[in-house]
Amino acid sequence: MNPHPALQADDFTPEPSTDSLEQLSRPSLSYWQDAWIRLKKNTRAIISLYLIIGLALFTILGPFLWTKDPSAQDLDQISQAPALPKTALLVSDYEPWTPPIVQGHPAEPAGYPDTLAAVTGFATAGTPNTQSIRFTWSPVQDAGGYSIYRSESEPSGLQGLGLPLETLEAGNVVGFEDRLNLKSQTYFYSIIPTDGLDEFDVVTTLKVTPVQSITMSQALERGLIDPSDAPGRSVLLGFHPFGTDYLGRDMLARLMQGARVSLFIGVVAPFIYVLFGVFYGGFAGYLGGKIDQFLMRFADFVVALPFLLFMILFKIGFGIGPGESGILPMLVALILLLWPSTARLVRGQVLKIREQGYIEAARLLGGKPSYLIARHIIPNTMGVILVTLTFAVPSAIFTEAFLSFIGMGVAPPTPSWGSMCNEGVKTMLSHPHELFFPALFISITVLAFNLLGDGLTEALDSKMRSRE
Amino acid sequence: MGTHKLLEVSNLSVEFETYGGVVKAVRGVDFSVDAGEVLAIVGESGCGKSVTVQSIMGIIPMPPGKITGGSAKLKGGEILGLQAQAANQFRGKEIGMIFQDPMTSLNPTMTIGAQIAETLKVHRGLSTQQANEIASELLIRTRIPEAQKRLNQYPFEFSGGMLQRAMIAQSLACSPSLLIADEPTTALDVTIQAQILDLLKELQSRDGMAIILITHDLAVVARTAQNVCVMYAGQIVEQGSVDDIFYKSAHPYTLGLKLAMPSNVSQQNKKLEPIPGSPPDLFSPPSGCGYAARCPHAMRICHKENPPLFSDARAPHHAARCWLQAPGAPKTQGLYQTNLIASHGA
Amino acid sequence: MLKYTFGRILSGLVTIWFIATATFLAMHAVPGDPLMNEKATTPEIRENLARKYGLDKPIAEQYVIYLGNMVQGDFGISFTQQNRKVNDIIQDHFPVSAALGILAITFAALGGILWGALTALYRNQLPDIIIMFLVILGISVPSFVFAALGQLLLVNINQWFNISFLPVAGWGTFAHMIVPSLVLGLGTMALLTRLMRSSMLEIVNEDFIRTARAKGLSPSRIFFQHQLRNAILPVVTVLGPQIAAITTGGFVVELVFAIPGLGRYFVQAVQQLDYTVIMGTTVFYGAFLVFMVILVDIIYGFIDPRVRLK
Repeated sequence: MNPHPALQADDFTPEPSTDSLEQLSRPSLSYWQDAWIRLKKNTRAIISLYLIIGLALFTILGPFLWTKDPSAQDLDQISQAPALPKTALLVSDYEPWTPPIVQGHPAEPAGYPDTLAAVTGFATAGTPNTQSIRFTWSPVQDAGGYSIYRSESEPSGLQGLGLPLETLEAGNVVGFEDRLNLKSQTYFYSIIPTDGLDEFDVVTTLKVTPVQSITMSQALERGLIDPSDAPGRSVLLGFHPFGTDYLGRDMLARLMQGARVSLFIGVVAPFIYVLFGVFYGGFAGYLGGKIDQFLMRFADFVVALPFLLFMILFKIGFGIGPGESGILPMLVALILLLWPSTARLVRGQVLKIREQGYIEAARLLGGKPSYLIARHIIPNTMGVILVTLTFAVPSAIFTEAFLSFIGMGVAPPTPSWGSMCNEGVKTMLSHPHELFFPALFISITVLAFNLLGDGLTEALDSKMRSRE
Repeated sequence: MGTHKLLEVSNLSVEFETYGGVVKAVRGVDFSVDAGEVLAIVGESGCGKSVTVQSIMGIIPMPPGKITGGSAKLKGGEILGLQAQAANQFRGKEIGMIFQDPMTSLNPTMTIGAQIAETLKVHRGLSTQQANEIASELLIRTRIPEAQKRLNQYPFEFSGGMLQRAMIAQSLACSPSLLIADEPTTALDVTIQAQILDLLKELQSRDGMAIILITHDLAVVARTAQNVCVMYAGQIVEQGSVDDIFYKSAHPYTLGLKLAMPSNVSQQNKKLEPIPGSPPDLFSPPSGCGYAARCPHAMRICHKENPPLFSDARAPHHAARCWLQAPGAPKTQGLYQTNLIASHGA
Repeated sequence: MLKYTFGRILSGLVTIWFIATATFLAMHAVPGDPLMNEKATTPEIRENLARKYGLDKPIAEQYVIYLGNMVQGDFGISFTQQNRKVNDIIQDHFPVSAALGILAITFAALGGILWGALTALYRNQLPDIIIMFLVILGISVPSFVFAALGQLLLVNINQWFNISFLPVAGWGTFAHMIVPSLVLGLGTMALLTRLMRSSMLEIVNEDFIRTARAKGLSPSRIFFQHQLRNAILPVVTVLGPQIAAITTGGFVVELVFAIPGLGRYFVQAVQQLDYTVIMGTTVFYGAFLVFMVILVDIIYGFIDPRVRLK
């Protein structure tokens, strides 16, 4: 039984393949094209790439788009958490206020009263604002005075009345002005009538939330209003999307400026020392023999040098005193002390490549050393170099942050992400945003470079090991 | 006809999922091995010979690999696609395996003795002492000098040839009925090659062990094999006894391989004839015969449909996957044609 | 093995000598003299001090004196705290830092190997994903943030659970050491975990693992005897340099947790330009590092036969 369809005579006509026999069945990809395809498939690496581009834009273009001065102090908004733009009430410059005195009411009671009624009519006069809150109330029969307290949380009965603000010693003074350190938050004011000496056990509490205010002269000074503007209207205060630090400086502007410092060191230093390491290691690896031994011994010695010590010395050598910023010495120290590991890596790679057959083949075909290096050795070490560079950046950023943190790097007022963390740690419990943002930026940058480095290693290394 | 063959493989198909697509590495392979037989599987790089035997042993990582069909029966029992625990009943015990590069195929941080003893301890439950004794015997059997001293040495202290012997010793530990040798001599020089092959033959004749020998070198096949499978592009294109393959080549590819072989008959100034072109792309295998693009005798039908295996009526174990074996095909110079009815499915 | 050890020790001594010399040269390359920061000093007092420290002698002689003193273990007297010998400072505070550092690296090594092996075992499953996420955080967040957060967490935990056996700062009992050394070791633990994971995954593709499978060994045996044993090697190699990183990081942890370690004194000396303390501590730290690296190398020699026998 023939299980096949019957074969016809013309099925047997000779038909040798006419296509070029050497035709490749798949489009051929260069090493880099293949690596790029692999990298693109790695979502984390691509996101990191975008992040890094974003950071670069943030650093370079940021200050042009967000033009706030990083050293300008907005004294109205110190240690402000991130918030939408706040408005402030425009008020006239402060003039002293005389609390009203009730005519016909005795300043001192006739005798010592047994009980006193609670204060009634306890209310604010005018709009309570952070410049001053004015209170008035109805006088209490037989009162010889009043005590006023302020608390940030609601008192329960006579407990937790808070800060004693004022003790008035006349029963007919029925007004009080609070100017003590007012912020735009909720306060609970309590008033207790006294007989001039002792307080009685009756309390009246009022909840007040003053609005943020700014005086005419302050506003004029900061260019927020025209001279023609009159009090009573709302003025838009500086917008600080990331909040302000303990001196009232805008966090976003500082982060941008800090980015310039941190990323400058974090990217420039690695570039230079990796470049140097590449030449050094490539040279050593290519020449081999005694020169290689000598060069590597020297590199080992440089590794043994104490980093912090040399940082200090460069700082002194550059004539920078304590408390001043040492960006240049940090850069020099990083470059002079961190190149050996790159040199070692590149040297190892060059040694490996030198043994490969294609180098020998190229040489036998008449290739001069410069050709071999440029055309064969360098392209094959690019993978290692690229990966080293990508991992060197977060390392440099960490080092800069660490140095600034202990005071050996950038000093205030110049911001760097590391020094901002240093300042932020001090107010970590009360104003976490001051530590959170610089730490976040450092972490994101380092994370992005690390993930990108991982992705590059995977994309390039599998070729290097020719596993597939 | 009640006896099972030692190993029977039918219609084995294996695929790999890669970032570039799905590679159909093995496309419907059938062969069998009798007890005591030496079967060679020949083919060029990428033809699927290693993947075939490794799939049977179950050592292909299963993502990205996938067995998409077929079966492999050892002494009648199915062994394809078993879970690790079940597979370990025959791996190292019934079937032993040696690999191409002994230097990387042995654990660099364990002594040779410990690695051989490991097999014995796991499969036979022997104590360390007993296992070491047998390990020492095995080393002697595979002609490794100073066996006692060598037991306590590490792989890097051995030469290539000696290490391959050690690996053979390791695979023989549990007296398997089948030894799979995946290109055991490719990494060794010619003189050592001969020694290893002779050793294998000796072990086979002495213990009645079957051997599957994977190679790309026809000279090795000629020297060692009884039966041969020629693989190309994931399929078996010709199979038969070693005489059939060499003297009655029934597939153009086999012919091509023979012509490309250097001859060591002196005073023959024959030019080496390579086969032009390269194997097909297994991401999308052709619907016709895989060899058609390079075959000088290709016909119209060859490009349209993949030929089935046609066997020789006078010698049924000799078969070739070629339309030139179909009744009515034109006579082709140099090719042994059977012109008989197909007996295998495509 | 002995020859290997001996060779390493010798090279270590050379390195220490080099560090000492480099430190000496560096300090003397700085413009101005060490006494320039001394405030109320009359010329006579300055002369006396200069003579006492041997600053009036030529450099070569100073160098010999310096080396001689160092070999005897005398690092001089602190500039800013005139009544304290540098030796005493080191003696008092180094054991603290050492204990902290050693505990930290033990955490880091054990943790790193454990988590790394776990991620390789459960590759691409939930444990792997969780651990790797934490690892990425661990290597991205700067150490001082961890230190600060660690302390914050401690404060809160003590408050919520009303316990106080884990002190928030200070030094003295083992309880004082736990959190700071954990915090200190976190960064290294993350790094080692990652290294261990990639090492394990690389090993999985090695030929000898394929042979082990073909031998019919059980998955657990392959995991422990073949994979783990070989994967640990690169991790141990890296331990040596990591000790240097932990020592540096120790400064920060000591600052935040108010631990009286040498790091804190070193940073102070750096900020106050106390030369003798800086020099002495640097050389001492350098020697300690070299010693630890040699120790790790020797341990490595025990694990990897290729190093010890080739």
